Parts: sequence; C-alpha cells; structure tokens
Amino acid sequence: MQGPAPSSNATDAHFNLTSGGATPPQSQTRSGPRTFAPQSGFAPWKNPIKPPIVRFENVTKRFGDFVAVNNCTLDIYEREFFALLGPSGCGKSTLLRMLAGFERPTEGRIIVEGQDITDLPPYERPVNMMFQSYALFPHMTVESNIGFGLRQEGMAKSEIDIRVDQAMAMVELMPFAKRKPNQLSGGQQQRVALARAIAKKPRIMLLDEPLGALDKRLRGQAQFELMRIQESTGTTFIIVTHDQEEAMTVSSRIAVMDKGIIAQVATPGDIYEYPGSRYVANFIGDVNILEGKVSAVSDGVIDIAWADGPGTFKTRSAENVTVGQQVWLALRPEKMRITHDKPEQSENAISGKVDDVGYLGSISHYHVRVANGQRVTALRANSAQSFERAITWEDQVWLQWPADTGVVLTK
Amino acid sequence: MRRWYVIAAPYIWLLLFFLIPFFIVFKISLSDSTRAIPPYIPTLDITGGWDAIKTYVSQLDFENYAFIFSDPLYINAYWSSIKIAGISTILTLLIGYPIAYGMARAPHEWRATLMMLVILPFWTSFLIRVYAWIGILKKEGLLNLFLMNMGVISEPLTIMNTNIAVYIGIVYSYLPFMILPLYSSLEKISPSLIEAAEDLGSPPWRAFWQITFPLSLAGVFAGCLLVFIPAVGEFVIPDLLGGSETLMIGKTLWSEFFNNSDWPVASAVAVVLLLVLIIPIMFFQRMQANEREAAR
Repeated sequence: MQGPAPSSNATDAHFNLTSGGATPPQSQTRSGPRTFAPQSGFAPWKNPIKPPIVRFENVTKRFGDFVAVNNCTLDIYEREFFALLGPSGCGKSTLLRMLAGFERPTEGRIIVEGQDITDLPPYERPVNMMFQSYALFPHMTVESNIGFGLRQEGMAKSEIDIRVDQAMAMVELMPFAKRKPNQLSGGQQQRVALARAIAKKPRIMLLDEPLGALDKRLRGQAQFELMRIQESTGTTFIIVTHDQEEAMTVSSRIAVMDKGIIAQVATPGDIYEYPGSRYVANFIGDVNILEGKVSAVSDGVIDIAWADGPGTFKTRSAENVTVGQQVWLALRPEKMRITHDKPEQSENAISGKVDDVGYLGSISHYHVRVANGQRVTALRANSAQSFERAITWEDQVWLQWPADTGVVLTK
Repeated sequence: MRRWYVIAAPYIWLLLFFLIPFFIVFKISLSDSTRAIPPYIPTLDITGGWDAIKTYVSQLDFENYAFIFSDPLYINAYWSSIKIAGISTILTLLIGYPIAYGMARAPHEWRATLMMLVILPFWTSFLIRVYAWIGILKKEGLLNLFLMNMGVISEPLTIMNTNIAVYIGIVYSYLPFMILPLYSSLEKISPSLIEAAEDLGSPPWRAFWQITFPLSLAGVFAGCLLVFIPAVGEFVIPDLLGGSETLMIGKTLWSEFFNNSDWPVASAVAVVLLLVLIIPIMFFQRMQANEREAAR
C-alpha cells in the first residue's frame, strides 16, 4: 500500500500531472539539447591518448603561510564544461586565477595545449575570464565593453562590429547596445560580461562564480544559457562555483576541492553515486553516513558491523578493505525506503522513530532517530495525493535499502 | 516646514558670506577714488530716502572697468596669472598623479599613514613653509650648496626671484589639494577592472590609459580646479619667491589696495578676477552634471 513506486496507486493522467509539475527543471537540464550528457559517450578523459587542453602539474600556491592550493594535478579536456566545486576558501578561485594569469604558482607548472604558460602574463594567454563581479567598464557602453578585447588585438573596425553584433545576438543584448553598465539589470550585466569574454573566441573560457549574484529563478535560466553557448561555440568552459546543484547541472566533470586539495574528479553522476570520501559525499547532496567496522568480505559483498547500533549491513562494493577496518557507509536519502512494518525480506534494515517530517509538495523528507540517537534521512516521492497510513511524527518505522545502493568509504 | 529650514541653510550661508560681500565689493568698484575715509565716493546715505538712493545710483559708473581693460598692465597681469597658474596646475598633476596612484595601490594598512604624510605639511604655517623655500632656493641656499658640493654645477643657479621659484612654491603648496581628490577617485576603481582589461589582451600600460585614467577624470578635474583657482589669485608665493618680472594679479590687487589706496580699481580687479575664475568652475560643474547624467 505504501510502496514508493510512483504509479502504484495513481492513474496515468495523475502521474503525468505530478511529475510534470514537480520535475521539469531537472528533466529539462538533464536531457536537454546536450551532446555530451554523461550517457552520451563524451568522455575524452577516458581516452589515454587524448592530450588535455589544460594541465595543472603539481601546482602549489602559498600566500605567506597560507597554502591556498596544495600540489594539485588536474587534466581538463577540450570541449569540457569543467566545474571546480568547493566551499569558500578551498582554493578553487586561486586555481582559476592562476590559469588566467593573475596569480603565479609558487610551485608547479600550468600547461595549455602543450605550451607551458606558467610565466605568460594574462594578456598573452588564450583564456578569457568572466568575473564574479562582472568587472564591466563603467565608462563604456555595452557595445564597447564587448568590443574591448577585440580592439586590443588591433582588429579592423568592420570586423569588430560584426563580432560584437554576433556576441550581443548570442546573449540577446541587441536592444541595450548603447547603454552603460549601470543602466542594466543584474541579469543583463551578467550577459554583457559573458558576451565580452566570449567575443574574443577564447580557447578556454573561465567563469568565476558567474551566476552568484543572480536570484534563484534567473540563475536557472542563465545556467541553461551557459550550456547552450558552451555547446554552440565548442569552447572549453571552466567554472568555479560553490553551488553543487549548479555544478551538477552544467558540467561534464566536477573537481571537488577541500582546503587546497582536489578531493575527487568525476562526472556529476559518478560523484553523486560513488563519492570517494565522506567529505565529497556530504558536499554533494544529502547523505546518511553510518559508521562501522568490516566484519566480513566475500564475493564483492562487504559486511559492516554498525558501530552505533545492532545490525550488520551488506553492501556490494569493490572497495579494497580488510576485516576489522573502520569504514563508513554512505546512503542517499532517496534510496532508503521507509515503511511502518518490518520488511519481510531486505538485505539491510534499521528501525527508528520519526523525528521530523518535511513536506515539500513533490517529495517529503523523513528524519528518523535510530539507535544511539543518530538521525537518518529518508526521502519519498509523494506519488499519491493522500496515503491511507501516512507516516507522521513519532511513528515507529523501518528504513531499508538493498545491498547495491550504499557506498563504502574508507576516509 | 522643518525641511524648508534645512534647504534654506546653505542659501542663507551663501547670501551672508558670499553674495553680500560680493555686492559690497561690486558697489565699491563702481565708485570713484578719493582722499577720504572711506577712500571712495559716492557714499550712500540711507536716511535721505528714495531720492538719496537715486542720486547715489546715478553717480555710479563702469569707469574703473574701462580703465582696467584699457591699461595693458592689468590684462598682462591676468594673462600672466592664468599662465603661471595653468603651468603650475599641470606640473602639480604630473607629480600628484603618480603619488595618488601609488597610495591607492598601496596595501590597505599603509593607506592611512600615507594620507597622514600628505596632510602633515598643513600643520605648519603656510607662510613659514614658503619662507623655508627661500632658504632652499636662494643663491647660497641649500639646493645650490648641495649641487655644487656634488659637483653637478660650478656656478650657483639663479632660481630665487624667478618664475621657476613661483612654480616650485605653488606646486609644493598645492600638491595635497591635487593628491586628495585624485586618490579618492583612484581608490574607488576596482582592481578587477584592471584584471579584466589585462585578461582581454591589454598590457598594463594600455590598461592604464583605457581604464584607470578615464575613470579617474573626475578626480583630475577636481584636483586641477582646487589648484588652479587659488593659484590664479595667489599673492604670498609670487611676492616672496617671485621676482620683479613675475606679474600676478594678486600682487597687482595688493598694490592697488595698499600702495595706491585705490579701493575702486582694486575692487574692479577683484570682480573681474572672480568672473575669470567662475568660468572654469561652471565648466567643471557642467562636466560633473553631464557625468551624473551619463551615469544614470
């Protein structure tokens, strides 16, 4: 009766209605006109012969005693939309500014298209940056802001005009050509900044928190626009962001950074489903972490004896662990099934009491207090308009998950 | 009602301390010189009523202005003052801009100290500082002693009592008035604008002329006016450091007033000087208004 399967007790029409109302932004961005969604086969990083367009080679940056970037090595490939993700102060902006040429690495090299650019000044690098503050020139019109980079190249005026018009058309700024930046809205300024960098037709486009100043609704549109432009121009984009949803939405791969170190580099799907550490698991989406010790390893299945309560969890994992090792089991809330009754047959189940229910319309969050007072979150899609036995506060419930949904983490 | 008082306050100030004194000076400039106290006629006797005012006004004329414009001495003095003030202003700008730029680019914790150093000379009397320059610039002064001991020159340079000494004096005295507005406009320019210019392919020197300088223009104009306007009417510096060939309107005004006791001509000189100075001020205000218009 309480099965989470979306169509179990709903008509087709009803199902369409709820899913249509609840998930369009996601489905739009995930399966939109992207040529290299994770499933499309665009994965140059898997090709051992393909040279990267950008290579950070053991790059370290210190400001006095503070280590902003600590021995980072990273390859980024042509046509990628690469995200550097992390909390503020993790070194992601410093890494980007070193690529732009505003900071010089203390150690290591930066190689772009096979050429060592570590010592090149910013104005000689084949990269252009879109600044977080937009950095539009306040004394110039939209037009001459966008044409600024082209004028530096000594390009013919007629050629500049064509390129500026193209760039303005791309971001729909034509009606504002003669305006000054402070006569524009935040969203328009953001598009001028984008057009100004893209008009140079750089090999690599750098975006430093490009959408940070926009409100949530506008940000969604702008992300889509960035993806469209990235694809239509075929430029390699590197974006710095602290917003994990933004990184997941736009990028082909994400590097999650922590205190100057690259914690993990993977596609959005892999980073969500197979985080390499508790830090990454926590930073990307919601996660439940259960601590325990390995009690048995057999046939690709790891048994973990729960440290905080009774129970052994079975997880299918190729992680190389030894019996007795301390490990953590990461479980995404949406992969945990919540029921009133003890499941007849489930590989893993724990019981607890509902502490809190968060109703978000399309989905509900259930915070369940399990053994030792730990709170575990489960997520359920509200596929029916009403449940006969809705789960509510103080209910005794069971949480269950199959062996192939958890991730065993050793750090 | 209370708002009206607030708005009226600056106008009352202007009326009391600018318009009324100006009107008194203007009135004297239309009078004739005489040996009496006060040394001009006619004088207005309010007790005579309407008729007295009418006779008084009928005796006023623009004779003194005609005199000023017919005598090349005054025209030359105006022209020379504007020239000396103009050259001094350009020199002050050339020296002040790099200083202000350096201050605006200095680390935050230094800026207050640097600002302090710029303002520090104001704590000593202006007159004493100008006298000190006599000690430096005169024939057997510090500068000549230094240069001769260094073997750079064999004969002492004649700087004192020339226009060069006046330039040095004006540039030195008015430098802070140039630096402060320049600093305040340069400091407001976000460093990311320069980074953006460099990122878009502009080397630092070009980025300076394309971004930094145009954005500091308001400070350049403010600084130039703050130096130029007082420099045109400057009296102390040309009097102490300048020579006989240094012709400046401030000195002319002084000698008309105190040596010749010709208050009406001195007043006319002052009124014309005011008009000469009001023109650049109005020009500047229109510039600022245009800028605000453009910024909107």
